[in-house]
Amino acid sequence: MNAFFIKEADFTQFLGNMIGARKVIGPKARKNRFVFDQIRKPEDLRLDYDVTILPPKKVFFPPRQELIRFHGQKGSSCIQPESTVLFGVHFYDIKAIDMTDHLFRENNMDFNYLAQRECTTLIGSNVQNIFKRAFFGSVGKGVAPKGHDGFTTKISGGYLYEVYTAKGKDLLAYGTFIEATEEQINEAREVNDSVMDKCPEKINHDSLEISEKVRSKFNSPVWEEFAHDCFSCGSCNLVCPTCYCFDVQDNWNVDQVTGSRDRTWDGCLLEDFSSCSLTGGSKENFRETRGSRYRHRIMRKTSYLTAKLGGPACVGCGRCSSSCTADIADPVNVINRLMEE
Amino acid sequence: MACDNCSCSKVYNENIFMPKEAVIVRAEMATASEKHFTLKWADDSPNYFEPGQFVEASLYGFGEIPIGYASSPTRTKTFDLIIRAVGRVSNALHKLEKGDTMLLRGPLGKGFPLDKLRGHNILVVAGGIGLCPTRSLIQYIIDRRQEFKSFNLFYGARSPDDQLFLDDLASWRKAEDVNYHETVDRGSDNWKGNVGVITTLFQKTEIPNDTRVIICGPPIMYKFVLMEIDKIGIPHENVYVDLERRMKCGVGKCGHCQINDKYVCTDGPVFQYSQIEKLEEAF
Ligand SMILES: Cc1cc2nc3c(=O)[nH]c(=O)nc-3n(C[C@H](O)[C@H](O)[C@H](O)COP(=O)(O)OP(=O)(O)OC[C@H]3O[C@@H](n4cnc5c(N)ncnc54)[C@H](O)[C@@H]3O)c2cc1C
Ligand code: SF4
Ligand code: SF4
Ligand code: FES
Repeated sequence: MNAFFIKEADFTQFLGNMIGARKVIGPKARKNRFVFDQIRKPEDLRLDYDVTILPPKKVFFPPRQELIRFHGQKGSSCIQPESTVLFGVHFYDIKAIDMTDHLFRENNMDFNYLAQRECTTLIGSNVQNIFKRAFFGSVGKGVAPKGHDGFTTKISGGYLYEVYTAKGKDLLAYGTFIEATEEQINEAREVNDSVMDKCPEKINHDSLEISEKVRSKFNSPVWEEFAHDCFSCGSCNLVCPTCYCFDVQDNWNVDQVTGSRDRTWDGCLLEDFSSCSLTGGSKENFRETRGSRYRHRIMRKTSYLTAKLGGPACVGCGRCSSSCTADIADPVNVINRLMEE
Repeated sequence: MACDNCSCSKVYNENIFMPKEAVIVRAEMATASEKHFTLKWADDSPNYFEPGQFVEASLYGFGEIPIGYASSPTRTKTFDLIIRAVGRVSNALHKLEKGDTMLLRGPLGKGFPLDKLRGHNILVVAGGIGLCPTRSLIQYIIDRRQEFKSFNLFYGARSPDDQLFLDDLASWRKAEDVNYHETVDRGSDNWKGNVGVITTLFQKTEIPNDTRVIICGPPIMYKFVLMEIDKIGIPHENVYVDLERRMKCGVGKCGHCQINDKYVCTDGPVFQYSQIEKLEEAF
């Protein structure tokens, strides 16, 4: 293994050098919460964050992205990736990025995502504080995080930096790293293992069992019961690191000649997500009820994608649980409930 | 800023959302709300689609919508699209005339499984605008008639005025090698044909149970037609349905077209009935 150690005292200088040379995005404080944003000063980087409001998917899949720019009826592609270091990503978000990588790559390669992904150096960091709604310790346990270039863990006296790829290795140039010792590597493993059973919430069953049982509960009254107070606001979709549905719309610039075809985040909980216009102004909404939309999201997380992804499409970050005004979005409650039926 | 960290500049001109230009060689209103466009690719590239596939048709500034090919790839020079005016994009496309350019992305999706249809009796059940995508198969069968056994074609429209492809209907009525049956939900003074929903045609025709069936129409039609299919005793693996769902990307990413875990845009729009009959969200 390629494992290195950097002393606490040298870490700030490392960050400073890296920020000077590269565009770095990492966790930063905003009011009393955290967000992924560009890091311009070493002290802005908050590796002690619990969870960010929005997941880091926005680096490759921004809330609004131009797909094509047009002038009259002539269009041009505008895929312009920018070399970026995405630093300090927790392992559950790395798992989620690996999933969206797969989904944007399968069948039809979508370079509107993949180009920026390719140009990004993805560096993880250990979870120092656990979010109050997290359950990453009990979901998709068989799925290892992958696709990242390096990983930092805070250990005694400094940080262990594990390097997995050439892109990860490049960062060594910015700091004073020394070869890590066996003890330091073991300490880092313990640090990372120890958070797994400290999550405040817990799913009680194995992912495969959940996948099958939840799927078989399609017609259960539980869906409408849970969704009874749903506002169809779609927040649970927007904050989710594995949600990647989008809408595509054309927008003119003020000149009414030029403009762009854009994609924007969309969500299956929104009322008209599956609605089709038919003849004579009539509509057919294929997921008409709140329960049917709520069910679709949970099915996507537990069952529909497991064959493709090799595990559940929920990484247990707890973002949806905390963003839901009605507090009904938490996958833990509905899954545990269905499993006990 | 270009990326200096990898070899991206070469690859990333490839954009799955980039449409190609097609030139309209004919444009005519087919009914009060449907416009029939005949097109060819502006760069003269050949037709290379399968019957049942679709395109995303667009105009910059208005948006993109999925439209099924309404002609067969055996007709090589041009292809047809029928667009019904229902909303923002379709109304904008309706303004286009002969000589104008339409932007198209495709062919997309999985079409009719010709390999599984060749050498068999065929029944096509088309309701309303469902005749447009199935016309790509109907023309194909007519052009390669010797490759198929008997060919029954059921078409139901809301009223005589809503009938599409009047020239085609006239020739199918006369054709000896097409058993064409039609009905309208509501007749009119000079309509002498059948009146009633499309399923009434099953009482008027003998359909052998070794027939391969293709169904395409408005969402409510499927249930009733599938009941008739069961009465005849046609196995579900020999039945194909062409489904419609809201679409945005057409390439299996945006999520809008999902039926449970299936994507209509990439797994369909044509599905073998036996493969989706257990999906709760299909019918
Ligand atoms: C595989 C397939 C083949 C089709 N073939 C034809 C055809 O040959 N001729 C034809 O007239 N129509 C066809 N349709 C339906 C056509 O796509 C809709 O009428 C069209 O999208 C309406 O768009 P709009 O912008 O005018 O309406 P709006 O009501 O403004 O729709 C807004 C957006 O929602 C989506 N949407 C709305 N209704 C539908 C719908 N019924 N299907 C899919 N997406 C929808 C589109 O992305 C659309 O841009 C087909 C649909 C599918 C899925
Ligand atoms: S479950 Fe909660 S967050 Fe999701 S749409 Fe409903 S109210 Fe909004
Ligand atoms: S479903 Fe909720 S807990 Fe699971 S990954 Fe998405 S936001 Fe996180
Ligand atoms: S239309 Fe986007 S996934 Fe099918």
